[in-house]
Amino acid sequence: MGALALAMLAVALVSRSGPGLGWGVAALGGEYAVWFAEQGSALDELTPAYAAAFILVAELGLWSIEPRVEAWSDPELPFRRLAYVVVTCAGAAAVAALVLVLAAAGGGGGAVLEAAGIAAVIGALALLGVLVHRSASEVDSRA
Amino acid sequence: MTRTATAKLRVYPALAGLGLIGALALGRPELAAVAAPFAVFVGIGLALAHRPELRIFAELERQRQLEGRHVGVELEVAATRPVERLELLLELPEGLEAEEPNPRLIRLAGDEGHSFEIPLRCVHWGAHDVGQVVWRARDAFGLVTFEGSSGEQAWLKVYPRGEALRDVLRPLETQAFSGNQVARTRGEGIEFADLRPFTPGDRVRRVNWRATARRGAPWVNEAHPERNADVVIFLDTFAEARKAGAGTLDLGVRAAATLASHYLKEKDRVGLVSFGGVLNWLTVSSGITQLYRVVDSLLDAQIVLSYAWKDLDVIPARTLPPRALVIALSPLLDERAIGALMDLRARGFDLAVLELSPFPFIEEDLSETGQLALRLWRLRREAMRSRYAALGVAIVEWREDVPITAVVEEVRGFRRHARVVRA
Repeated sequence: MGALALAMLAVALVSRSGPGLGWGVAALGGEYAVWFAEQGSALDELTPAYAAAFILVAELGLWSIEPRVEAWSDPELPFRRLAYVVVTCAGAAAVAALVLVLAAAGGGGGAVLEAAGIAAVIGALALLGVLVHRSASEVDSRA
Repeated sequence: MTRTATAKLRVYPALAGLGLIGALALGRPELAAVAAPFAVFVGIGLALAHRPELRIFAELERQRQLEGRHVGVELEVAATRPVERLELLLELPEGLEAEEPNPRLIRLAGDEGHSFEIPLRCVHWGAHDVGQVVWRARDAFGLVTFEGSSGEQAWLKVYPRGEALRDVLRPLETQAFSGNQVARTRGEGIEFADLRPFTPGDRVRRVNWRATARRGAPWVNEAHPERNADVVIFLDTFAEARKAGAGTLDLGVRAAATLASHYLKEKDRVGLVSFGGVLNWLTVSSGITQLYRVVDSLLDAQIVLSYAWKDLDVIPARTLPPRALVIALSPLLDERAIGALMDLRARGFDLAVLELSPFPFIEEDLSETGQLALRLWRLRREAMRSRYAALGVAIVEWREDVPITAVVEEVRGFRRHARVVRA
């Protein structure tokens, strides 16, 4: 599955396809999920590192397939962007660690907690969908 | 302004969704931990993404320039909020080239202005609209792209470059005002014309004492006065031959500017008729103001396709003053222009034709039929030139690589002989 994910990423990079890159990263996530099935129920302490790595792959991949125009640019811009990627990865690791801590503190779970979790996930995805829809293409005739 | 979602805004929520659903399905919080950063990233990024409030000014260093020279455009950009990534493109029409990189990618801190100069090279004559700037900005998280255009219209007039001209065509007839042309009439002047017997009223200093002594009665010198002339430049804009960015119209416009400049320097009056799909004219006048009028009028010269029949009657009579020298610049591709020039000659105008040769601008067909057609076309054009020559019109074929001085000399040579025939 890992080889499949790498192949998908390679194809996405060559064809400069954003959705293809998403599927490649999702396939890498799938390989991580399959690995869990073999590990049992213990929490993986390296999850923050994996979170940082996933977002690093996504950021660098999207950076490389960005549409480019031949232009003179400020020399500091690539360094700023690299710094931003490093900060993003650190942030991803921190968020992942927080989620793990909350998951560990949740104890055995229970039906109520599980229902709350499902509702939270659905709510978060719905909110994300609304935000993305609002931010999609729009023409502002004022400007 | 347009706002569009980048690929990141489509991919990250999908990854977050897949991860969270996978976490629910498999009951593994690790998948939620890996997916959560994508969701948090999108949430924070969209919350912080704001429409950039940009102020962009483009100012031309000057509004007039000659072909082949440079002019600078000062670009000033400012924003009320930081813009992490701003691409700026100064839209340039054909005929202008940027000498430094265009577009540019910069970063703007909040309340900070950024200014830079882009030098432009004026490649082709014409009136060019410069000043529109197209920009594209991206938020710090790379989720949303904003695009828009800004700037005010600013016109840059690029005048056709003149060529060196040693001497111009001398008109057969001159006008009443003083100038630099030696008139055929006799009067007060410097150029000796003839001798005649003294009549009461003649000035004593005009007496030719040698002739007087020989003939025993006073004889005086007569001179050719210096007068100005009226010159009308007749530019054919019905059709042109064009290849790789250059054409017969470019040749004609540059020649018109060169001739107008030289005649106006000699204190002659110059007018312009742009005879084509769009008729444009300038009545004869003199001085530096007329030169600017002529070159400004030439900037409007363009080939406009028209099937309407036009002849000399559409041109106002005062545009073609009697006894004016008419210099026609034409590729002789359109029957209307050919007919109008014949008509001018028939009406008694002093006409000279500089034929702007279309041959350097056509794609030669190497097939046998193509070569035969080309030969027939050349023969037809030779026959047409002979018709003009038979009417006493000086007509010379002018190719792009030949300096205008040589062409004018050839026309002058023809007119010298034509004058003898008329006498």
